Amino acid sequence: MNKAFRKLSYPYLVWLTVFAIIPIFVMFILSFFNTEGLSFEGSSFNFNSFVTVADEATLVAIKNSFLYAGISTTISLVLGYFVAYQLFKSKIKNKLLILTIFILPMWSNLLLRTEALGNMMEHNNIITSLLARININFSIGIKGTPLAVIVGLIFTYLPFVILPVYTALEKIEYSLQEASLDLGLTEMKTFWKVVFPLSLKGVITGSILVFLPSLSGFAVPEILGKGNVLFIGNIIEQAFKNMNYSFGSLLSILIIVLIMAALLIVNKVDKEGETLL
Amino acid sequence: MMKTYTKATLQDYGYKDYKVLKKTYNVLSKIILALIILVLYASIILIAIQSFNSSSDISTFKDFTFKWYLEMFDNRSLRSAIINTLIVSIVATILAAILGTIIAVGIYSLAKKKRQTTMLFNNIPVLNADIVTGISLMLIFSILLPIFPYLFGPVTIIIAHLFFTLPYVILSVMPKLKEMDPNLMDASLDLGVKPYRGLLKVVIPSIIPGIFSGMLLAFTMSIDDFVISYYTTGNGFDNLSIWIYGSIGRKSLTPSVYAFSTALTLVTLTIVLSYQFFKNRGNKHVKK
Repeated sequence: MNKAFRKLSYPYLVWLTVFAIIPIFVMFILSFFNTEGLSFEGSSFNFNSFVTVADEATLVAIKNSFLYAGISTTISLVLGYFVAYQLFKSKIKNKLLILTIFILPMWSNLLLRTEALGNMMEHNNIITSLLARININFSIGIKGTPLAVIVGLIFTYLPFVILPVYTALEKIEYSLQEASLDLGLTEMKTFWKVVFPLSLKGVITGSILVFLPSLSGFAVPEILGKGNVLFIGNIIEQAFKNMNYSFGSLLSILIIVLIMAALLIVNKVDKEGETLL
Repeated sequence: MMKTYTKATLQDYGYKDYKVLKKTYNVLSKIILALIILVLYASIILIAIQSFNSSSDISTFKDFTFKWYLEMFDNRSLRSAIINTLIVSIVATILAAILGTIIAVGIYSLAKKKRQTTMLFNNIPVLNADIVTGISLMLIFSILLPIFPYLFGPVTIIIAHLFFTLPYVILSVMPKLKEMDPNLMDASLDLGVKPYRGLLKVVIPSIIPGIFSGMLLAFTMSIDDFVISYYTTGNGFDNLSIWIYGSIGRKSLTPSVYAFSTALTLVTLTIVLSYQFFKNRGNKHVKK
């Protein structure tokens, strides 16, 4: 490509610096000052927010986030890999159709879907009301428990693992599998020794794409956990609502560190972000 | 006298018959696949059921009705939230498509090492947690507030949406640029076309599918976003997500929003399917 086009990418670097890099420094500075919002008037350099992190509530929220996000990522990964592998085996050539099937649920509003899911998790809901008409009586009633949050996270973020794994599987040349079968490996062994290692790229990106939003989101735990199950996201949200920018910034930095690690991992396995779509 | 041996079966050679196992596996996996897809659609199905429910109580189904579809735009705050969402998403998607394509061409023409670094930075908005992106943008806009008072509102929310949709367009245009025959551009330059004209006449047509899939992704992300919009919007400029969040908090969600959501799902489904249909027909014509 023409070298003259290079300068087209420069404004974007400025844009990214302003909106993605500078705020990190701002948050870093904020976490050392007890400011009221953004006004530094009467604030002083201190470690108050660092002390607040050691609070019981905050530690529980951090533990919740990691534990429940970890569980839902693992389950999503198993289910998502299964779905992607079945689609890959089915030899449906139409990638757009597959994308559509899994993207379509994302077109209705996330909060609305979560709320609908939450209604389904109540003891009395529209499904049980409909089923009661044909004399089937049952109810789940798990809303407000960690289980509800985990189920909600899986339902919400499953497509994010299916798509990268499918993309990675699709790039594997069929001749490799043929060779392995020719050389006498069973289909099971071919899968574990040839297909799975080659699809790891998608597995890693997929798990990051599920883990990070599960860990940091605040809407799903708030709606499905009814306020009983708090995540880091909820604490950050409350901190910024109460104008405690310092504490909120500090927790955000914690998430940013995780994201940096994720970025480096993605960069290692997938140099130009091919499986991120 | 010759000793008779029993005829060796395939099993004696170590062949294991997995036919039954395989069949059950195949059937079972189809069932599980169907179940997972059903589960993914469970909430949408529930929303659809709710939109036909004459009672506004979410826990009981009374009668079948189209009432909520007719009253969809009667609720003023809901109507303006829907309009705001559409304005923001459409403007952000179009801007992201145009700027994203230009930027992708720019990044693609960088040397390999630089290109990879730029793509690493490009991944930040994709991987970054929504809440961090939202707060980051809010902080930057707040810092700019003394220079541009009354900044928060449509402008900030569109900039924010542009910020997180641009990377998706770039990511989906990039592979198409790589697939493109580099000689095409050189040929057009040799034939005396100016570089930027060549970009428009040669490069863009060959990467257009990438631009479209990028736009689809960008629009999906933009229309569904809550957290980033929540932090970057200003007084009174609610999009649908913010409106729903408020309504859930006040426990005053009107079924009209379920009706709108169902209608939107059906419309998008129709658009995608008809695009698919026409694309297939187009392909057949080319083959002839």
